[in-house]
Formats: sequence, C-alpha cells, structure tokens
Amino acid sequence: MTRVINLLLIEDDNVDEIDLKRSLDRMGILYRMKVAKNGEEGVRALEGQSMEVFAGLPDIILLDLNMPRMNGLEFLQVLRKRVEWKHLRVFVLTTSDELEDRSAVRDLGISGYIVKPLKVSNTNSIDAFNLMIDLMNMQN
Amino acid sequence: MKISVLILSGFFVILVLFAFTTYINYQQSDKINENSERFAASSTVLRNSNRIQRNVSNMVAGLRGYLLTRESSFIESYDSASNENVELLKELSAVPLQERQEVLLADIEKSHRQWVYEFAQPLVQAKLRANLSDSSAAGFSRLYREKLADNSEKVFQQTLQRRFKEFSNLEYSYRDSQKDLLMASVEQTRNVSFYLTAFSIIIGMVIAVFLAQHISSGIVKLTRMADTIAAGDYTIRVNVDGNDEVSRLSRALNNMARILSEYIALLQRKNDELNQFAHIVSHDLKGPLRGIDNVVGWIEEDHNLDLPSKVREYIHLIKGRVNRAENLLNGILSYSRVGREVNMQEEVNVLELLQEVKDYLPAETSARLILDPKIPSLVTERLPLLQVFTNLISNAIKHNDNPHPLVNVYFKEEDGMYRFFVQDNGPGIARDYHDKVFMIFQTLKERDSFESTGVGLAIVKKILDDRKLDINLQSSTGNGSTFSFTWPKNNDL
Repeated sequence: MTRVINLLLIEDDNVDEIDLKRSLDRMGILYRMKVAKNGEEGVRALEGQSMEVFAGLPDIILLDLNMPRMNGLEFLQVLRKRVEWKHLRVFVLTTSDELEDRSAVRDLGISGYIVKPLKVSNTNSIDAFNLMIDLMNMQN
Repeated sequence: MKISVLILSGFFVILVLFAFTTYINYQQSDKINENSERFAASSTVLRNSNRIQRNVSNMVAGLRGYLLTRESSFIESYDSASNENVELLKELSAVPLQERQEVLLADIEKSHRQWVYEFAQPLVQAKLRANLSDSSAAGFSRLYREKLADNSEKVFQQTLQRRFKEFSNLEYSYRDSQKDLLMASVEQTRNVSFYLTAFSIIIGMVIAVFLAQHISSGIVKLTRMADTIAAGDYTIRVNVDGNDEVSRLSRALNNMARILSEYIALLQRKNDELNQFAHIVSHDLKGPLRGIDNVVGWIEEDHNLDLPSKVREYIHLIKGRVNRAENLLNGILSYSRVGREVNMQEEVNVLELLQEVKDYLPAETSARLILDPKIPSLVTERLPLLQVFTNLISNAIKHNDNPHPLVNVYFKEEDGMYRFFVQDNGPGIARDYHDKVFMIFQTLKERDSFESTGVGLAIVKKILDDRKLDINLQSSTGNGSTFSFTWPKNNDL
C-alpha cells in the first residue's frame, strides 16, 4: 500500500518548480503539491487559507532561500516560533555554490538539502527523496 | 618657538657675550696704557725732584766753596744749579701732583727761595764786598757767623731735605697704590673674561645639545612613523606640541597619514564592493542561466525525436553558449573569491602538492608531468599555492598541441625566495601577448573552438599580486613557454 504525500513548495522560480516535479515524477513519487511563491504565501498556505490540493499541514516543506517579500530564512524563523508548525520537516532548495547560506539555516533545524538543478547523479538530494519514498510507503 | 629663531637668538646671545668680553678687555688695555703713562709721569716727577734736591745740595756746596775760597767756579756751579731748578720746578708744576705734594713742593720752593734770599745772596754780596774794605770784611765775618755759625742754616737745609724725602716717598707710595689697583683690575678683567667665555660656551653647548636632541628625537619619531606607514599601518600619528619646523613637519606628516588612511580605507571599501558586486552578479546570473539550461534539457528529453534537425542544431548551439556563460560566471566567482578566504599557514610538502595536481589532471591526457625531486617543503598557505600550480600546469597541458606533450616543474633559489618554473613544449606565446595572457577573460583561442575562459592566469596573477610576488613568462612562438613565479621560503607573508 502506498499513499500520496503532501508537499508544500515555497519557490518563486517556476522552472525550478517544473524541475522538481519532473524529478518526483521520474522517481515515481506520488504527491500533492501546494506551491507558494514566497514566504508569506507559504505561511498563508500553512494557515489553511488555501484549501485546494490538500487539507491540513504538508508532510514535507520544500523551501527556496532567495525569494521576494519573505525569504526562506525568515520563513523558517516564523515556522519555528509556532508550536503547531515546529515539527514540520523542511528541505532547503539550494544551488551547489550557495554554501555560505547553509550555515544560517542549519541552526533552524532543517532536515536536509535539495540541490538544484535536480539530477539523479547528485547524491546531495538523496535524503529528501528517500524520506518521501518512506513516507509514501508508510501505512497511514 | 621656531628652530631657526632659536638658533639665531642663541648665536645672538653668544655674540653679545663675546662682544662684552672684548669690550672689557679693550677697556682694560686702556687702563694699562693710562697706568703706564702715569708711571712715566711719576718717573719724571721723581727724577725732577731728585735733580732739584741735588741742585739744592750743589747750590749749598757752591755757596760754601765760594765763601771759603772765593773761587768763581763755585759761584758758577751755584748759578747753573739755581737756573736748572727754575726750569725743573716749572716742569714739575705742569705734572699733576697730589695735594700734599703740591703743598710740599710749594713749601720746598718757598724755603729754598727763603734760603736764597736770607742766606745765600746776602752772604755772596757780603763776600764780594769783603775785598773792598776791612769793614766790609768784618761785616761779612759778622754776617757769616750770624747766618752759618749758629747751625740754623744747617737745620734749615735738613728740613728741606726731609721735605724732599717726604715728597719722593709720597710719589713712591702713590705709584705702588696705582700698581696694586692695576693688578686688581687686571685680575678682575681676567676673571670676568673667563666667566663670560665659559658662560658663552655653556650657553652654546646647551643650545646645541637641546637642538640636536630636539631635532633628532623629532626625526626619529617621524622615521618610525614613516616606517610604520610603509609597513601598512596608516592609523599611526605622532604627538605634536610646539610650533617649530619639526613640529610642523610632524603635523604635515600626520595630515598626510590621515588622508592616506582615508584613501586606503576608501580603496579597500571600493575593492570589497567590487568583489562583492562580482560575486553577487555572477551568483544571481547563474539562476536564470540554470533555468535556460533546464528548459533546453527538457526539450531535448521530451521532444528530441519530434524536432527538425535544424532546431536540434540550434538547441546544441544554445547549450554551448549556456555552458560558456556558466564557465565565465564561475570564472568571475573564483576570481572574486581569490583573497577573500583566510588561509592558514601550514607545513606544505610542495612535491606532494604537485603530485596531487597531477592526480587531478584529466585522465585522457597524454601529457607527461616531470617534477624536480628536490622541490622542497615549506611553511606557507597551501590552497593559493595549489591553485597557482594547478592553473599553470593545466594551462600548460590544455594548450599543448605537441604530439608528446611535456610539462617540466623545477625551482631555483633567488634572493631568499623560491622561484618555481612550469615549462612546457607547447606552441609558445608570441611576445605581443605576454601581458595580455594575464588579463581576465583574455584568451588567445577563438571563443567557440576551445574550452577556455581566460580566468586561470588572471587568478594566478591575482594570487601573486596580493602577496607582492612576481610572475614571469619566457616564451616565443614555437618554442614552448616557461612561466615562473616567486614564493617566499618562510611564512613571513
């Protein structure tokens, strides 16, 4: 038995969105995805203001760092202050040379990174996809 | 006070002191002259008074001789002595004398005249007449007895002699007192000259020592400041008080250092901004570029078979340009990153480091890398040295069109530094391009034909420039190239 996992993607570049979706499809991961274009939209999505796609909190948040209005770092700070969101798993979308940005988010308790562009050969993103597959295969 | 004013006023004080010394010495010599004149006058007085005394005696002797013998020669000597005395007295009265001496002289003159009128002349007259008659002879005898027999004339003469003696003694003691005064004055002058000269020398020395000390301490301070500035610390200032030339120079230097440090700070800020700018721009440009690459990739993946061959060719061109753009951006990123990292000093075995470079070379290359086995170990920053060698060696191989490509790495010692050489047997670089190869994005190959962004040598140069080290290229077309660079032996970068 498999189930569909619920993802919240917070990312302003829709090429990256398509890239992610293509990778998920290719790996056979079943998912529902809410897409927020910045941190503020991400917060609103969590607050349940957008009820389409799926209800409730996502299984995993995929978070870009460079975004307008509220960037990834600020979103994480908001997320970690709310008791009901504290436990949410966050993977940060990053490029291979954004090394210096990583130290800032590591303190805010993230689960790992997904390195753009997404390639099967890139082993940095493997934790995220393994987790998705595990969640998908978990019985409720 | 200005140093020049101080020097001039010091000289002025010394000059005044010496002028004063000269003046009192001059005055002293005047006194000595005066004294010797007075001495000469005193000698005249004594000589004259002695002669008068002698003449008086001669007159007395002449008178007695004549009275006894009636020889006219006696009366002649009496007369000449008397005449001479008139002259001598006139002379004496012209010379300045002491009051007591004047009195004595007047007294002497008076007594002598009294003797002449009371004794000498009446006796001589009587003697002359005595030949004429007996009564006259008796008169003379009476007169003679009256005047001479009772010894009163002798007493008279003795008194006169005493007065002469007193007169001479007065002159002698006057002369002695003058001599003592002169000696005292000479002694005083000598003392004053000595003290003034000593004082001038002391003042001169104090001024000289003060100036030497002041100027030299000022210059030492300024030298230390200039050395510190040369060593790269522009924040140093010297303490200045006073308004002399050295202080003004110090103030000017302080001002210069301040302006210099402002400009250096500005330069550093601009440089940082430029690096930051290069970093941000290249980083941000990579995002959309990656997007283009993604989308083109999807077209190829999803629609490759549907595409006309022309479109496939164009897509291939797009991918090539995207790749090139990414290489350029990576070039800018790594160029701007040079000097941003802080590198640790560590023990580096350069031979092992070169072995590492060799291991990273593309596996397909047929190039041979020959390493001088004597290449040393040193304490230095590892990463920059690795990057310099990597870029030079990979360049030497990448551009090498020789059927048997060869890269030779060796070193020499030079002025307390190492000079490392990377020599290849490639096509060589024409002299015209020797400067150009070190500029960023300058490549001697056509852009499309070759995978080269022209950043490698620019990075090498930047690493070496940042450390004030030297890079040199020896090459001509067809004869291979030899790049050489200096690297410090110790960790005193």
